[in-house]
Amino acid sequence: MSARAVSAGFKQQAVQFFADPQWIIPSLISPFLLSMVMIFLSSGGTSIEGPVVLQAVLGGGVLGMWANSLFSSSTSVSFDRINGTFEPMLGSGTRIIYVLIGRSLWSTLIGLLNAFIVFAIAEVMFGAGLNVQNPLLFFLALLMAMLSLSSVGLLISTLFVLTRKGGTISSVLEYPIYVMSGALVPISMLPAWMQPASLALAPTWGVDAIKYSALEGYGGMLGMSLITDVLMCVALSIVFIFSAYVVMLYVERKVLIDGTATRY
Amino acid sequence: MKPVIEVKDLVREFSTRGRPTKTAVGGISFDVRQGEIFGLLGPNGAGKTTTIKMLSTLLIPTSGSARVLGYDIDDDRTVMELRKRINVVSGGDRGLYYRLSAKQNLEFFADLYGIPKREQPEMCQKLLGMVGLLKAADIKVEDFSRGMKQRLHIARALVNDPELLFMDEPTIGLDPEISRSVRSMIRDLSGSGKTIILTTHYMYEAEELCDRMVILSKGRIVGRGTVGEIKDMVSDSSVIHIVTDRDPSEALGGFVSDPDMTVVSSRTVGGRYDTRFASASGKTDIRSHEDMFRPFGIRLIGLDEPTLEDAYIRLTGGDE
Repeated sequence: MSARAVSAGFKQQAVQFFADPQWIIPSLISPFLLSMVMIFLSSGGTSIEGPVVLQAVLGGGVLGMWANSLFSSSTSVSFDRINGTFEPMLGSGTRIIYVLIGRSLWSTLIGLLNAFIVFAIAEVMFGAGLNVQNPLLFFLALLMAMLSLSSVGLLISTLFVLTRKGGTISSVLEYPIYVMSGALVPISMLPAWMQPASLALAPTWGVDAIKYSALEGYGGMLGMSLITDVLMCVALSIVFIFSAYVVMLYVERKVLIDGTATRY
Repeated sequence: MKPVIEVKDLVREFSTRGRPTKTAVGGISFDVRQGEIFGLLGPNGAGKTTTIKMLSTLLIPTSGSARVLGYDIDDDRTVMELRKRINVVSGGDRGLYYRLSAKQNLEFFADLYGIPKREQPEMCQKLLGMVGLLKAADIKVEDFSRGMKQRLHIARALVNDPELLFMDEPTIGLDPEISRSVRSMIRDLSGSGKTIILTTHYMYEAEELCDRMVILSKGRIVGRGTVGEIKDMVSDSSVIHIVTDRDPSEALGGFVSDPDMTVVSSRTVGGRYDTRFASASGKTDIRSHEDMFRPFGIRLIGLDEPTLEDAYIRLTGGDE
């Protein structure tokens, strides 16, 4: 039953995505534009090359993935509240979290697509010098990072059951999580008090794995190995998904007590 | 026959910070038998929708208890099982995915109810055919008329072939022809053995469809039984029916201060003013009324048997 609900959420999000061309703006166009801005900023207004720019390209790709994941997670519940479909879903005898997982998987796919578009354009148009040593490892690292971003998005999406301020919250969360994940700058450059929070985020480890697979001679975040990155990313993603499940049980019950399932 | 719904002292209050607690349902008890169409009647704000939401597990009661198909509605361990066996038809424009087609909407909800994929094409065909939307199966819901959406709501609520169907004002805002077809569907569903809980404030609809009903007013039950039994509850009253050429509002204004009199209906029919008013104490002094309404040009005056609408107005105190 749960697998069916995951598949239904995935399929519905896909159909909805293609049925409504506007979704392309936050899912593809906006992250792409932001990435391009970052690439130009990193280039210092001159040539677009060198390891700093390469880091910017990767960062842009991650930002694209994260923006997509966050947009998807915040809109997936808000959309149902506005649409009046949240209550029929709630009453269907399926845990809504499974539908949200399916939707998150779709956003993972689109996030990956977005990252590849950013990398391709950076490479083809600007000759960014993205010299991936091991394409398979790079793809797996990207996939893992995207899944970890989706796991954070999933946990955040459960909160949108309680609030109608989905847009505001996602706007507030977009850049802090991005910065904390180390995609913009290495986390060693972040304030000491922020670093433990960074390390508690699954995407931080996923982003580090991407850097391992793409940047030649990369030494690892705080000296961590690639295998540590993979293990931590997977473990923390599971923690986030499990937390989302538990929080969802709580918020589902809370909206039934408060009678807020139909408010929008 | 064992009831499929047993409601005991059910209460639902709503609290909003900074505002006094509002009691939407104030301790109601009733039961519903298998296979019947059971009406929840009442004016806006009477507690009909709140009651349906509680019984369909979409709202947790503040106190009291209810068993639906043998399940306690507030038991977390069994609520998912119960949800698989019931469904809700809501009125209105919301509750469907507008960017998806009628068929895609049904498939999505069929997946949530765990209907096997191989059964879905036939199920969609059957349900869309039943509600007259077969030709619109692949059209996006955003292009549907209100009536088409309402019919799709009904189809959506049948994807899990529920034993018990809650229908919350299913004909509200529909034109007479579509309303009639929806009522016909409700009768057919009842004929197929489903138990239906219907909320409405259209008396003719309740009279036509409901086997039994309760009348709610301000969260409390003020009347219950069959149509005949409810009419009998106000048999002590008499209803005076009067048709005038001119608007008799001025004369009716005199009833506002008279607790014995209630204006049951006042409408314009064919350019004339058709008014019905009831006397709780059974006063049938037509002559005194005749004098009162003469300046407005009386065309017809007489005594009527109380209808369900008369009983409804009396019992709810005309608080619509």
